[in-house]
Amino acid sequence: MAPSRALARLTLLRRAQQTALRRPYHSYDHPAPTGIFNAHEQAILSAAYKHVPEHGFTAQSLSLGARDAGYLDVSTNLFSEGPFSLIRYHLVTQREALAPRREAILADVTASTAVPARVERLTWERLLGNRDVNHRWQEALAIMAQPSHVPASLHELALLADEIHFLAGDTSVDPSWYTKRGGLSMIYASSELFMTNDRSPGFGNTRAFLQRRLAEAGSLSGAVGSVTQWLGFTASAGVNVLRSKGVRI
Amino acid sequence: MPPPRDLPRVLRTLCPARPHVLSPARNAFLSMTTFAPSRRCIATTAAAPNNAAPSTPKRKPLTKEQRDFLSSALRVNQTGELAATLIYTAQTPPLVNAHPHLRPLMAHMYEQEAGHLRTFNSLITKHRVRPTALYPLWSVAATALGWSTALMGREAAMACTEAVETEIGEHYNNQIRTLLEMFEQWEAEGYEVGDEFRDLIGTLRRIRDEELEHLDHAVEHDAKEARPYWLLTSIIRAGCRGAIWTSERV
Repeated sequence: MAPSRALARLTLLRRAQQTALRRPYHSYDHPAPTGIFNAHEQAILSAAYKHVPEHGFTAQSLSLGARDAGYLDVSTNLFSEGPFSLIRYHLVTQREALAPRREAILADVTASTAVPARVERLTWERLLGNRDVNHRWQEALAIMAQPSHVPASLHELALLADEIHFLAGDTSVDPSWYTKRGGLSMIYASSELFMTNDRSPGFGNTRAFLQRRLAEAGSLSGAVGSVTQWLGFTASAGVNVLRSKGVRI
Repeated sequence: MPPPRDLPRVLRTLCPARPHVLSPARNAFLSMTTFAPSRRCIATTAAAPNNAAPSTPKRKPLTKEQRDFLSSALRVNQTGELAATLIYTAQTPPLVNAHPHLRPLMAHMYEQEAGHLRTFNSLITKHRVRPTALYPLWSVAATALGWSTALMGREAAMACTEAVETEIGEHYNNQIRTLLEMFEQWEAEGYEVGDEFRDLIGTLRRIRDEELEHLDHAVEHDAKEARPYWLLTSIIRAGCRGAIWTSERV
């Protein structure tokens, strides 16, 4: 009886969470669930990814990759989403590449530096991950903007913003959790678009663009914080004045 | 009754060894919940021979359902402790003004709730669980609840504490029960339970006991004298259940 009750509770939760925003529990003790690609997909996609600089995020790259990995051309039918799975492979691998390199990326950022500096370094590092495919990235953005791929693309963007904040050691547990991630998602997406037209050496202009946007977001959140603090102070001071006058509140 | 010696260490620590010595009110409330863990301990004794089989204990990856359960559990706990600290913050000034002898009690209960909030804040950051999206709504509602019950008088404030802590205690017991069921399943399949989860269940048990201690304090301070007691507590309890239900989802 007991397991069935647990099962019922879990099924109930699962049904309810179908529509809710996914943000699953991250365990340190128990192994992580397997990735979204299986071994065959992984083999084909990693081979196909090498053809992207030349052939772009296309079915052509996919079939060349399948051939390189020793599969038949027809095995690209495995990917129901076609070239989008190649884009998703790029997004997932680049996102997951941040965590192992965290120490190196943040090496010159001192421990005392605030979270925003670390967010900037990590975001820049992720943008540099687009370096090799940058000349093909506008096509990829066009595919990602197709209605059927928008939810998956936005989900990946949200995961990236969350990953960057987690690696930067952000510990917000209030609504700023949402505003920080939302803000970074918008800044990242616009910087990525800016980068596709950037011809400056080492993408220096993109970095300056990124830093300007982050500074604007920082000053905006600072202003909102100050106003909120002022309102809270005034309200509690007003209540205390009334209390000192003997009003029983 | 102490658990048998041949049980795995984890299960022995999970079994409530010390019986709760309780006031009648709390005893009545706990009568069903304290039995549940002990029944589980007995159930695992039967499964014990299977546990000895694997030589290298391994840990099972969490399923999607388990991860969803854990994230919603941590989220709703953080929300609940946030609301509790805000209720006590709002109750304290009017209440202490009218009844100065309650100052140490209110300070003590607030301190414990603030400690719980810190615990869950660090847990949701560590495990990458998002906080509830309705944070501002719960803040306003909790402050309004605490303030209005304090204005209604000492008995109403204590009835509010009693109602809230009753719901919260039940809620923690449900979580502990689900976690124990998870452990039981893992142990039966020959997997090991990670320290992370032993710590988590220990934290939940400690916090549950402290919440129920607040319930005792409230009853000792004439929560039952509130008029109309049944209306006040049933409204607050329904509100708590609604808030828990919502926070598990958004």
